Amino acid sequence: MKVEYLTGNYAIAEGAMTAGLKFYAGYPITPSSEIFEYLAKELPKVGGIVVQFEDEIASINAIIGASWAGVKAMTATSGPGFSLMLEGLSLAIMIETPLVIAYVMRTGPSTGIATKSGQYDVMQVRWGAHGNYEIVAYAPWSVQEAYDLTIKSFNVSELLRIPVILLSDATLVHLWERVVMKGPGEVVIVDRKKPKVPKDMYKPYEPDEDLVPPMACFGEGYRVLVESLTHDERGYYKTTNEVQRKLVWRLVNKVRKNKHLVVDSASYFVDDAEYVIVAYGTTARSVYALVKELRSKGVRIGLFRPKSLWPIDDDALVKACSKAKKVFVVENNVGVYVNEVCRFLKNKDVISIPVIDLDIPSPEDILNVMREWL
Amino acid sequence: MSHPLDRYLRTDRLPHIWCPGCGIGIVVSAMLRAIDKHISEGHFSHDDVAVVSGIGCAARATLYLNFDSAHVIHGRAIPFAIGLKLVKPRLKVIVIGGDGDIAAIGGNHLLHAARRNVDLTVIMVNNMIYGMTGGQVAPTTPPTIYTTTTPYGNYEYPINVIKLLSALNTNYVARASITHPHLIERYIYKALSIEGLAFIEVLSTCPEVFGRHLGFKNAVEFFNKLKEMVRPYEKPPIERSDIVWGNEIVIGEYVINNREGFVRSVYKSLNKWCKG
Amino acid sequence: MRYELLVVGRGGQGVLLLGRILGLAAAKYCNLYVTSCESYAAETRGGDSRVDLILASSEDELDYIKVRGADIALFLHPNSLAKFSNLLKDRSKVFIDSSFPIQSLGIRNVELIKAPYTKLAEKELKNVRVANMVALGHLVGTLKILTQESIERAIDDLVSTEWRDLNKKAFKLGVRITNDEH
Ligand SMILES: Cc1ncc(C[n+]2csc(CCOP(=O)(O)OP(=O)(O)O)c2C)c(N)n1
Ligand code: SF4
Repeated sequence: MKVEYLTGNYAIAEGAMTAGLKFYAGYPITPSSEIFEYLAKELPKVGGIVVQFEDEIASINAIIGASWAGVKAMTATSGPGFSLMLEGLSLAIMIETPLVIAYVMRTGPSTGIATKSGQYDVMQVRWGAHGNYEIVAYAPWSVQEAYDLTIKSFNVSELLRIPVILLSDATLVHLWERVVMKGPGEVVIVDRKKPKVPKDMYKPYEPDEDLVPPMACFGEGYRVLVESLTHDERGYYKTTNEVQRKLVWRLVNKVRKNKHLVVDSASYFVDDAEYVIVAYGTTARSVYALVKELRSKGVRIGLFRPKSLWPIDDDALVKACSKAKKVFVVENNVGVYVNEVCRFLKNKDVISIPVIDLDIPSPEDILNVMREWL
Repeated sequence: MSHPLDRYLRTDRLPHIWCPGCGIGIVVSAMLRAIDKHISEGHFSHDDVAVVSGIGCAARATLYLNFDSAHVIHGRAIPFAIGLKLVKPRLKVIVIGGDGDIAAIGGNHLLHAARRNVDLTVIMVNNMIYGMTGGQVAPTTPPTIYTTTTPYGNYEYPINVIKLLSALNTNYVARASITHPHLIERYIYKALSIEGLAFIEVLSTCPEVFGRHLGFKNAVEFFNKLKEMVRPYEKPPIERSDIVWGNEIVIGEYVINNREGFVRSVYKSLNKWCKG
Repeated sequence: MRYELLVVGRGGQGVLLLGRILGLAAAKYCNLYVTSCESYAAETRGGDSRVDLILASSEDELDYIKVRGADIALFLHPNSLAKFSNLLKDRSKVFIDSSFPIQSLGIRNVELIKAPYTKLAEKELKNVRVANMVALGHLVGTLKILTQESIERAIDDLVSTEWRDLNKKAFKLGVRITNDEH
């Protein structure tokens, strides 16, 4: 264990190295570039490779290739770059490739303000790629959590053979905070499971009971077949309803059925809360301050903070809001994640509190918007 | 009775999807013979070969190959292959695809792979058309020709990938043609022993779509026309590499350089840290 | 224990380094929780550089990342004072570099602590660039939240060998201001 003082970007890079990252490909983009630059300096010291590619499309496809060569791989980007990566993301989902994308949100649409923050892209992360799938995305609120959830992102990606997104924002990645870093043996590190059957019996997309197929990689003698077309368990292209249904449902269900290994959340002062605020990422920090202040004035208010945005920890959400008369969803955007919260709180009064701020919504600004309902 | 090259095929997947008379099969067979020659000479083993392709008729080759193989997305075979190669330098990584896959949507990746001199063998099957999607114009389609997206005749100029890559000092640049299969085999054999990027353009026929556009009655007629135009040369000068439909088309080994490959330069810099 | 600390100066005055040293010393060597956000003004373009630091003894006390009512503020240039007065509160301890003329404050009931950091740096160390470290010494020596040793270790971590000694000297010079006051 080691205590360091780091920014969010450096903590993500350190977390990735703790998790066993060995290949990074990227294209520079504010506010994520420090992850790239830090790794370019540090990763070679532990035998890892860092390459700058010609664009984000190449970057994501290169890490997919590296992952199939058997190592842990990641890239980092922001909105414009993630838009370019979406076809590759869909590929990674289809061919069940473990990898991590550190997505640092900035303002949009388009180029927006490159250095400034927001939470505009939480739905893009969920729905941006084509086809049907479940995505896993974590949203840290502190530098420590950026480190911890980066490790978790790698673990879950390896466990389920899926791409995982670590979703932060410009404010968090430039914040300096104390971080407790883990050494070898101090934190669980998950590696993808390998085949146990003889090579000639191996089928690259034949799942175990957990719906996850063991992963043989290139150069290991299994003659693997990576296939972006709809495929059966051998990886053979098939055009029947049966195969399509089986494949798509398995890809979706391997996340749904293993949800308990994925979801993460925190609740504060919710036991007796008449009002619950749902907030994630940096915005939740302002909300936390506000909740404490209102509590000290006698308001029965609490905070529910999803750490896994996708999928949300719905059981914990429902529990946290069980006594609530009103649920507020505070976001640094026009109010988008509120729909996901509504989905699980059908009979509750759920109110969207969108507060756009280039850094982080202040507790005062949030209260001003909320006041009419309190 | 099994063919000696069958061990490199997923024979349970045959017959393949290519149309009767399509040139792609000739390219794939020549590639397998070149690989087989290396393997039988002990240069590398069956399990050292990896083939990566994007999307298109030519890219479908990976479906039938009994190597570690990846059939990924349109245009992105090269970056996937680079990730693979950098992590496992021992592998002989071959990229195969159509001219649309490699020179249009994937053109930027090709250009930068050449600039970096990445250790890959890239085989571009140039049928001068988008075959898989039904006959749209390609960046290699000759001017004035009818395609489904240029119904009044192609108003663009084709790209000469040979010239492009020679300008980037690519280590190996050759053009072959399905009309001369032994040269395809020879160039691929050579390419597989070369450090850095080796690029082979193989002129091919798409009788099903492009043949119809051009007015050929059948695959043989198309093949014969191509054969009539194509002429092999030893080390032809780069100036002769432009393709003008109807004129002589020069094939041969255009460029052979000896620059350090990307893998070596990456690992050199890496080894500074991890001694040995 | 929770302190909100605001450090403001002009581009080029070394505000960010000062903040970085404070934060690192607190986090790594004093076992405190720290949040620090920086906003940076390029020296050439003018404007204020600002560091908001929250120091806390438990993680729970960290929430909103910016200063809302500074317990402690340090102004490396008094011109910025008026602009940031809304972030001060009654009894804020406000350190100001008195090397520059201080205009009428006309603000709250704050505890003003003045010393000529720039002049001291110039006179004793022949280098105005370490005025920030003199100020840091004054602040740390007066407040006694962080140990002097932790700051010196943070300087070791963050400042290149070439400038380390000078920075430490300046820091100690600042600490002495406090002692002299007593
Ligand atoms: C991103 C994307 N755009 C378009 C397509 C549709 N598409 C599939 S193959 C192809 C072109 C095929 O032409 P070429 O690469 O020359 O290969 P050929 O089929 O002629 O061998 C296109 C446009 C796709 N699969 N993906
Ligand atoms: S469409 Fe053309 S290129 Fe594709 S398989 Fe048929 S003949 Fe070959």
